[in-house]
Amino acid sequence: MIASKQKEFLQKNIGGWLIILPSLLLFGFFVWGPLLANVSLSFFHSVGYSREEFVGFDNYREVFNDPVFVKAFFNTLKYTFWSIVIGFFIPILLALVLSEVVHAKGFFRASLFFPNILPGLAVVILWTFLFDPSEGGVFNALLSNFGIGPKPWLNDPGQAIPLIVLTLTWKGAGATTLIYLASIQSIDNTYYEASRIEGASLWQRIRHITLPHLYPLIRMLFILQVINVFQVFYEPLVMTGGGPDNASVSLLQLIYRYAFIQGNAAKAAALGVIVAMMLLILTFGYLKLSKRADNT
Amino acid sequence: MKKLILLGLVLTVALALSACGGSDNGRIQITVGMWPQPYLSEDHAMFEEWKRMFEDDYPEYEVIAQPYTYSVDTFFPMAQAGTQPTIFQTWFTEPEKLIRNNFVRSIDDQLAELGWDEHLDPYMRDSLTFDGKLYGVPRDGYGLGLVLNLEILAMVGIVDDWDGDGVYNIYDPEGNPRYPTTFDELGEMSEFISTTMEELYEQNVAGLILLSSNNNGGWQFSNIAWNFGANLQIQDDQGNWVANLDDPAAIEALEWIKEMRWEREALPASASLSYGDWYNYIGTNRAAMAIAGNDALSLPITNFGMDRDNLAFVPMPEGPHGHQYSLFGGTPYMFSSHASDDQVLGALKFLEYMGRSPETSDIAEQSLRVGRITAEAKGMPIIPEITPWINDDYVDLVERIDQQFINVNMDNYQSFYDTIFNIRRNEEPYYSQEMYEILDSVIQQVLTNRNANPSALLSSANNTFQTQYMNNVND
Repeated sequence: MIASKQKEFLQKNIGGWLIILPSLLLFGFFVWGPLLANVSLSFFHSVGYSREEFVGFDNYREVFNDPVFVKAFFNTLKYTFWSIVIGFFIPILLALVLSEVVHAKGFFRASLFFPNILPGLAVVILWTFLFDPSEGGVFNALLSNFGIGPKPWLNDPGQAIPLIVLTLTWKGAGATTLIYLASIQSIDNTYYEASRIEGASLWQRIRHITLPHLYPLIRMLFILQVINVFQVFYEPLVMTGGGPDNASVSLLQLIYRYAFIQGNAAKAAALGVIVAMMLLILTFGYLKLSKRADNT
Repeated sequence: MKKLILLGLVLTVALALSACGGSDNGRIQITVGMWPQPYLSEDHAMFEEWKRMFEDDYPEYEVIAQPYTYSVDTFFPMAQAGTQPTIFQTWFTEPEKLIRNNFVRSIDDQLAELGWDEHLDPYMRDSLTFDGKLYGVPRDGYGLGLVLNLEILAMVGIVDDWDGDGVYNIYDPEGNPRYPTTFDELGEMSEFISTTMEELYEQNVAGLILLSSNNNGGWQFSNIAWNFGANLQIQDDQGNWVANLDDPAAIEALEWIKEMRWEREALPASASLSYGDWYNYIGTNRAAMAIAGNDALSLPITNFGMDRDNLAFVPMPEGPHGHQYSLFGGTPYMFSSHASDDQVLGALKFLEYMGRSPETSDIAEQSLRVGRITAEAKGMPIIPEITPWINDDYVDLVERIDQQFINVNMDNYQSFYDTIFNIRRNEEPYYSQEMYEILDSVIQQVLTNRNANPSALLSSANNTFQTQYMNNVND
């Protein structure tokens, strides 16, 4: 009886299974396979990418004992912090301003999106050039017109991360702004009309209509941004090489160093697992918090 | 229909399997990674000709082009898949890592079979020998020295065209060198250049560029520290190798760099300068002097269009206590761990056709000539090579050919070649790349913080290097 039910179920859904099969195979081969292989590799001594000898948590111990790991960990938190301070509110603000713009809306939208279409590497090289700490650097040359001496920019361990985040924001804010803008434009105009009739100010309209509507989107983009910034890699690699004195080295950059500069794939795999665990904890924590917020 | 599909499948599998077969017509295949990309038409034609001649002489071999420019990101996956070329060129920093990961193989027996082992320069042999086994042959040797941008030196009046031949001279009419021969002079001259360029031309020019990131800072610093009298790794009383980064002489060397940055203001402001920056700064007249190897002198010319007559290359200056060294190494050719003995033998023999073996046959001579003619056509400076092979007939042959092709004023280079064999020194024996990485941080701190304490920085770096790496050496 059960067997026939199963057969019936399979027969009924066979078309669906066949359609999904190629994606499942590809997904398994290209995503889950390497992912599991990476976890497994992290518990072995590696030669090349091959597992040679089971070493338990030795690779993890080695990572935790590396003083650069501690630096990279706190740096990554700093990247996240600054990306929220600098990068998170700007797109919301821009979207709100843009939604109020009456003339040349298309021009402003295109201008904001423009940095997004530039290749990422070109952007970071361009900004590294602008931040050149010598007297001939572009920003320093501009500052000298106002009698201000040259600034160290990326050379200053305290400024390197905020400046890299600024570059990230310059490049990425436009796309996020457009997502917020689309959401704002989907708000039923009658709310605004009614609020205007009731005499609501611009701030009141934003506070009571726009922001509540945007809130679920803000929440989603927030966690996506944290996850993205946690994986910051090529920007510090190109702009500062992780320096000065590892002041801007990120966790992913450290994985790169372990894997390719030191040629230690297992140690890199261990750090990869550690970063994944951190992101998992962050995401679960966030989901739990937001669920609680939804229920209250 | 089912039969047709089955037949199709069988055919496909059979075809795929036949394509995977290692040898073609029973010939031994050698893949050559140093092969130039097709767009480099002159070089490509030269390699095609070498292939033709080699296959004529050794019909049992088939040479297959596999143009590959070594990079750390691509080599690991390639080698893991077992598709690295039989022979390829890599960086001098890489052998230890490639050996540890079993991507390359030793070649002692094949080198001995050809009788080449006794001709190899012992210094270069040392740098490619690990656990008593030799893992490669150097393409050529390099020693660090001081690159001079003569255009800038002339602008501030240090050099001039005293003999009127259209090329600046680095010796005055009395024969005195106008380039720095000690670190004191290097400091003074760098400061003078930076200040004078600012005053006379309002140009921001560094007297000297020192590198500071991607392990280049540590690499250059180790040579500077040696010249101040430091030994960065030493053996203790029990014969164990230990880190010695906080050697008082190394601290003195770091103090010198700090002085160069903050008191003399003679270095670039950036603290993230990597290898490509030295020839960028020199080639675009943003620095007057740089530390580099003799094998890389064409870079500011080919990349930034610098006039080759405006370049000079002199020995590393002597330190304050009379020490003078030049970090010495070689760009290696290495061999895939999947290569058979016969393949390695074939790849080594092919080096003769490239003029990179100790053989002095007509073919070798012709290749040496063609290599220089091609370089000349590309506008590269042709200066003497430091050959990895030291058999007299080969050295004589290369010198004879060099004499015909050298296209620079050798007066501006000769002092380097006169001293290099007396002052050369191989890099520190253990974890040199890791040591450079730790030293990079130290250099960056000195370059970014005018109140940095060199002694404390090196003491902390020494502690990190000892506990993280050197403790493993004596296990």
